[in-house]
Order: sequence, then structure tokens, then C-alpha cells
Amino acid sequence: MRHLTEHNALSRRGFGLGLLGMGGGLVIGFRMGADAQQPAAAGPQLPAMIRANPALNSWVRITPDGAVTVFTGRVEIGQGTLTAMRQIAAEELDVAPERITVVSGDTARTPDEGVTSGSFAIKLGGSALAHACADARATLVKAVAEAWKVAPATLKVEDGFIIGTGQRVNYGEAAGLVSLVRPVDANAKRKPASEQRIVGTSYPRTDIPAKVFGDRVFIHDMRPQGMLFGAIARPPAYAARVLSVDLAPIKAMPGVVEVVRDGSFLGVIAKREEQARAAAERLATSAKWDNGPALFAGKNVFEHLLEAPHEVKTIHELKAAATQPPALTHKRTYRRAFQAHASIGASCALAQWQGDTVTVWSHTQGPFPLRVHLAKALRTPEANVRVIHEQGSGCYGHNGADDVALDAALLARAVPGRPVRVHWAHEEEMAWEPWGSAMIVELEGSMDADGRLTDWNHDVWSFPHSSRPGPSGGMDGCNLRSAWYLADPLPPSKATDGGLPNGASARNAVPIYTAANQRVTTHYHQVMPIRTSALRTLGGFFNAVSAEMFLDELATMAGRDPVSVRLANIKDDRLAAVLNRAVAMSGWMPAPVTAGKVLAPEMRGFGVGLSRYKNQDCYVAVVAEVAVDTRSGAVKVRRLWSATDTGRAVSPDGVINQIEGGMVQATSWTLIEAGRFDAGIMRAVDYVDYPIIDFLDTPVIESVLIDRLDQPSVGAGEGSQAPAGAAIANAIFAATGRRVTELPFTRERVRAALQA
Amino acid sequence: MIELNVNGRQVAVDVDPDTPLIYVLRNDLALNGPKLGCARGQCGACTVHLDGAAVRACQTPVKAAAGQAIVTLEGLGSPAKPHPLQAAFIAEQALQCGYCTNGMIMQAAALLKAKPQPTEADVRAGLNANLCRCGCQPRVVRAVLKAAGKGA
Ligand code: FES
Ligand code: FES
Repeated sequence: MRHLTEHNALSRRGFGLGLLGMGGGLVIGFRMGADAQQPAAAGPQLPAMIRANPALNSWVRITPDGAVTVFTGRVEIGQGTLTAMRQIAAEELDVAPERITVVSGDTARTPDEGVTSGSFAIKLGGSALAHACADARATLVKAVAEAWKVAPATLKVEDGFIIGTGQRVNYGEAAGLVSLVRPVDANAKRKPASEQRIVGTSYPRTDIPAKVFGDRVFIHDMRPQGMLFGAIARPPAYAARVLSVDLAPIKAMPGVVEVVRDGSFLGVIAKREEQARAAAERLATSAKWDNGPALFAGKNVFEHLLEAPHEVKTIHELKAAATQPPALTHKRTYRRAFQAHASIGASCALAQWQGDTVTVWSHTQGPFPLRVHLAKALRTPEANVRVIHEQGSGCYGHNGADDVALDAALLARAVPGRPVRVHWAHEEEMAWEPWGSAMIVELEGSMDADGRLTDWNHDVWSFPHSSRPGPSGGMDGCNLRSAWYLADPLPPSKATDGGLPNGASARNAVPIYTAANQRVTTHYHQVMPIRTSALRTLGGFFNAVSAEMFLDELATMAGRDPVSVRLANIKDDRLAAVLNRAVAMSGWMPAPVTAGKVLAPEMRGFGVGLSRYKNQDCYVAVVAEVAVDTRSGAVKVRRLWSATDTGRAVSPDGVINQIEGGMVQATSWTLIEAGRFDAGIMRAVDYVDYPIIDFLDTPVIESVLIDRLDQPSVGAGEGSQAPAGAAIANAIFAATGRRVTELPFTRERVRAALQA
Repeated sequence: MIELNVNGRQVAVDVDPDTPLIYVLRNDLALNGPKLGCARGQCGACTVHLDGAAVRACQTPVKAAAGQAIVTLEGLGSPAKPHPLQAAFIAEQALQCGYCTNGMIMQAAALLKAKPQPTEADVRAGLNANLCRCGCQPRVVRAVLKAAGKGA
């Protein structure tokens, strides 16, 4: 079977079309362990990922024919990560990008880089790969310089050829002079940004041509010889368990090869996909289930968040010796519904057993952690499990990708030697994937007579933001859902809340503003009746949106406009630069918001949102212009403008693609998306019950990138959501003079706020 | 046996005539262009052309496609001879994960055939029932307008 993750020296079709000038994305990352969080020590320090995977040849290999292969534990999740990795390797090696083979996310072949998430891919994975490639180049040049008895500095490299003193030799021959099988050298030097020629350009994404011509790209497209189709018979509620079930009639259905039962895990293997789906559906409805206790004991989820037992922790506090007495104080509570990843293609996996070993093809964000949890659930040593990454539909965090991998492995075990593909139904994904947590944020703050913030207290109530397989989701138990339903079940891992600076519940809860007294308190629910996990930005989106709404309310009380109040309360010039740029682009003349104004049938307004993702990554400011139909409550986002600073952008077009995509997604989160559930399970499971934004509602977007050659590259995939949501919220506030405090801002909710 | 004409090729498939066309195209004929999304006619990922009209293959029983010219993304153009929309999607880098891309291109191709010089509003309205979760709608609109400029 061919492994798609091997992007062999590129077909040149993208270039043959004469369509240069666009490029790959970035983003994505690694869940930081303690190791990755070490402050930089004095002297040369190896990138964290290299400390975890020190062998040079685990990152880059050069064969005698001069072929260059680089290995990354990062995976492509539709953001252009592998194109960015190719650019980075090409830059440091001085080899044409299209000549490099990139191998990604295979537990048998690539470095273990944990999970591709949290906008860490470029920051950590990219810097590690760059360092290793710089080491390889310098080593080869030095070996050739010694052979030619010249100084290394007199030699140059052009597309994998070392050139000087009238001679040239390719990397393959040079590699014969010296061993690259050794630890990476901490002293290797990356190129300065001023000498970069490939990094910083919008190199066309290498995965795009195959996607527009209908080549085999996705795991959903894999069809190895003899493949069978699997489908799972889902319980009617999360807490449901099988009381009794008769497998015989299901086994007699057309095409059914095998029916699998292990406790309350029920599945079907059939010759055809539609046969497997039909049989699984019949199996689910014919089984007798005990539905278990009602979700949230029948209460509203927000009551549950406030009242059910949870852990309270103050995780950030600043106290000034003395401050001016505040001129005004304000307090407000904001709420957000459960929200879904809602991928267009549901999760899918392919598994095949050979004797005691199983190979699983998966679009997981973390092939290595997935392997650990698969081994636990399958009760087999890790060495017996190989996980190979293949692309899936965009996931936007932890969706069903990992869970379906176990489903496929459990089913395939019943048909040894035969590959089994399981592609969840969309409704199954929506009901059974982990959701983004419902949240409550309460803010209390004060401002002095000069418009400076004196106090800022941020309390957040939340369910977990990671129930991934892997360290962020907890070390014990098993975080693959079907393991919880087996006859001999494994418990889920005990979810813990990620600490600062990254934060999970409290991501972006520490203000970007310079309030003298600050406090952030988390109210964390480890128990999640509706399973929750990472949805792009974790708690960051709602924390920052709430904070930005709150600041505009304070500004209004003080009679100040939203822009000057921000400028008066930030110290970081990069924040000010994106803010000023976005405002200038929009042509908006900021003025203080008038509360409770008289409403015409349509009211228009501008609003701004400002954020630095995780308080340490990219800076984004967004300005929104909205029109509110004050009779229906319908909000139309007319335009969005954004300014972004991601440090040195590896691919400017890739960054813009991520930033704009995030703005569209955030518009959808902010206006229309809310999970609806009954006593047992999520009920908003199709695009009618859980709509996502369409073309007519997509705002017109303009964005600019402020490229900072002198600053390290940071991810952009999660930078724009919060400022976009905040800008929309604040534009509604400015248009109507009324605040809607619960996301999404559905027309019913807006209408109610306008009539209040 | 049901006889089908797919991308100019005559093929026969031995399936239940009520089988949704998407399964036949993907699993029996090993085509990758049309994608299985919602399977409820709500997302557009499965879009193919039947006699030039854009239809949702998840909602079309295979028997209804017999006797018509079925064209999938693979049949629309090739790297050597790309459809203007395929070239424009590459030029504009008009996708992220690309799962919706088949539907966007196939729906837009039908739109451009009916209306070779659409306005931006026409493109938005014409693609409104095609969903993209990555948020690439602005780029898709640009790509379609670009393709129209070249004459699709
Ligand atoms: S898969 Fe056919 S419309 Fe969604
Ligand atoms: S590009 Fe991912 S769904 Fe459209």
C-alpha cells in the first residue's frame, strides 16, 4: 500500500500552470511538556523537539544519489504545514523545495512530536527541522572544504551542489565523506532572515493540485485490495449500556460479513459501505438499551457549571502597592453554548491486523499519542501498533479522528488480514465527537478618571479543553471513546486543565491590558457529562471575546471611544501597531458608544477586537462593520478588516489564508452555532439543526500582514477567531447601544436584548 | 447490472438500483473527486454533473443516473488540461483542507455554464448551498470570478 504522507519529489503540475505566487500555511503544534517550557538557558540551546529526538538522521537523510528526505512528526491538517516544512528545509539546506521528500507523522519513521495543535508546528516543529537542516548543510560543506583544503566560507551551495574553487560536488557524494548519524549539534546556525530566499515567500502549497484534480488525497479515498467497510451501532445516549441484543438478524442482512459485540460496543463489517451503515443502524435500533442518568441531572448547563462540584483556582494575580481610587466599576457575566468542529468530511480510519500487529491509518493530530492509547484499548504492546498519518477533512481541534481509529481497529480484529475502513456518518460525528465547552465568563473591573484600568478580575467556568489521547488529556485511562463501552471498559483519562502561560480554560484570560490589579480564577469541571475537548483556541476565543466586550462597556461608561481606551491601556507596540493598522484600513472614525439609543429599523455600527494569542503568539486586530435589523434581530456582518503580526511569516499567503478562514469560522461561531441536547445526547446533528456559515452570510474581508523579519515565526491558525468575534460583538453594541451577553447572537437573542 | 457513462467511459456496475450514486462512484469506480459529506443533501461535497447539471450524488439513486452523462471532478479537467476553475483554485490557493473543493468546483462549473460572466453576488448565491468549514468562501468567490474572466 502506498503511503500518501510520502510527498515524493513534487509533481511540477502546480508550477506548470504558471501559477506561482501563492503559498502554504503554517500553524499547528505541540502540546508543551515541562521540557518544552524550559526558559532558554545561556549558551546554545537545542530546540525542544530536538532534545526529545536528538538524532540528526531522524530529521534529515541524504542518500548517495543526492536525494534529500526530511522527517517531521507534524502532520498536514489542511493548513499547509507540510509546505511550510518543505520551505524551511529547502531554505536551510539550499536545495530546491520540490526536490525534497517530506515524510510526516508515521510512528515507524518520523520523530515523535506529540500532537499537531495549538499553533505550535512552526514555532517548535519548524525551528527543530530548520536547526537539523542547518547542521546537515554545515557538516557537508565542512567535509568538502577539508577534502578540497579550503575554508568552508569560500564554498557555496546551490540546489544541493557544493561549489567552489572551480569544482562542484553534490550532497550525495559529500555525505560519503562524513557521517550524519549522530546527535544534532547545538552550535549549528540557522540562516539569518536577511538571507532567506524561500522562507518568507508565498510558495504554492504542494497539496493543492491533487485536491483540485480529484487525486487520491484523503484517508477516505484509500481502498486497498480486499477492503471491507465498518460502521458502529451507536447508543441512544452517552451513558447508555446494552441490556440485550440479537446479532443473528443483523448477520443475515445483505452484505454483512461480521457483527462485533464487546460489551456495549456494537459494530458491523460489510462488503459495501451503504450495507454497513444500514446494518449498524438496524443493530442500534434493535438493541435494548438502558439510557442511564439524565445529562446535567436535567438542569440547564449554565446552572450546572455554577452549581455542580468543581475546582476553583486563582491562577494569576497582580497587586499594585497603591492605585488611584477608581472612577467607575463594572461587572458583567457572559455565556457561550457548546460548539462543534463540524468538519465537512466526518472522521475516518483504516485498520488492518496481521497476526498480533495492527496498522492504523488515521488523520489524528497526534500519531504517537494515538498509538499509546490504541495499545491500551486493544490490550496489546505499543510495539504491535503502527499509526500512519493520512489527511482528513479539516478538524479544527480534537474531533472524532482518534476515536474512529479505535473503532476501525476493533472491527478489523474480527477479520484478520482484511483492511477495514470506517467513515463515520456526519450525524455520528456531531453526536459523538468531543464538543467545544460551554463556558461562563464573569468580569469585574474598574477604571480611573484618566481612562486607565485599575482592576481586572476574570472568572471562567468551563469543562475540559482537552480529552485527547496524550499528555494534555491526562496520563491514566484511555481517551478513545469506544474503550469506555467495552465489556471490560477502560475509564477515560482524568482531564486536567492546562496551566499558564498557554492555558486551556484560562487561555487568553490574562488581560492584554495593563490593569494594575489583576486576578484570573478558573472554575474547572473535570467531569464532563457531554464530552468536551480542544476546539480551535480552546478557552481562548471566549475569554478574549468576553474581555473585549467588557472593555467596550467600561469605555462607554467612561465616555471614551473603543480605540483610544485600548491604546491608553497597552504597552506592547506590536499590539498598538495591529490595532492602528486595522482601524486605518476600515476608515472607521471611532467615537464613544451611546448606550440605549433610539432604534431605527436598521442600525449600523463598527467595533474592534484585539488579541495576542495565548498572550505570547501572534497579534491580531479586527474591525467589523455590522447592520442589525432591529425588528427581526438579524445581524449581518458586512465587512471585516484585520491586521496580523506573526513575526517572520514563513508563507505570507498561508498566514492570510489561515487568518481569513479563522475570521469566517468565528463569524459563524459568534452568530449561529449552538449545540442542542436532550436528556441523553446532542441533538443538533445535521446542518439544519447545527447550521454553519454560508456564502451569503460570509462578510467581505480585507487583511494585511505586518511581516517582522527580526521576530521568530509563530503560528497563525488560531489568532483571528477571538478578535473577529469580539469585533462583531462590539459592532452590535455600537450599532444598537445594547449588549447581548450570550453567544451565539441569534436573532431571537438580539431581538430580546433590543426589546429589553 | 446498471450501465453508466462516467467521464466519457461506459461502465457496468452490479448494485442495487437504489444505491446512492456517491457510493457507486467512490467505492465501485474508485473515483476520488466526489466526496461523501453529510449524505443528506445539505453540504454539496458530493456534487457531480448529470448531463451538465450539478446534482448531489448522495441524493441521487444510481438508477436515476443511468442514461445520462455523468461527469466528476476527474472528468472536468486534468493537470495537462485543467478546467479554468481548477487553474483558478490553484492560482488563488482557494482551499485549506480541500474536502469541500470538489463541490465548490463542480457547482461553480455549472454556474459558469449558465452564466459565464457572473457578478460576485451571483457567485455567492450560486454556491450558497455548498458549505466550507475552513472558511475559504472569500477565496472561492475570487477563484470563480477569476475563472469567469478567463472564460469557462
Ligand atoms: S454529501 Fe451530498 S450534499 Fe452532503
Ligand atoms: S477547504 Fe476545508 S472544508 Fe472547505
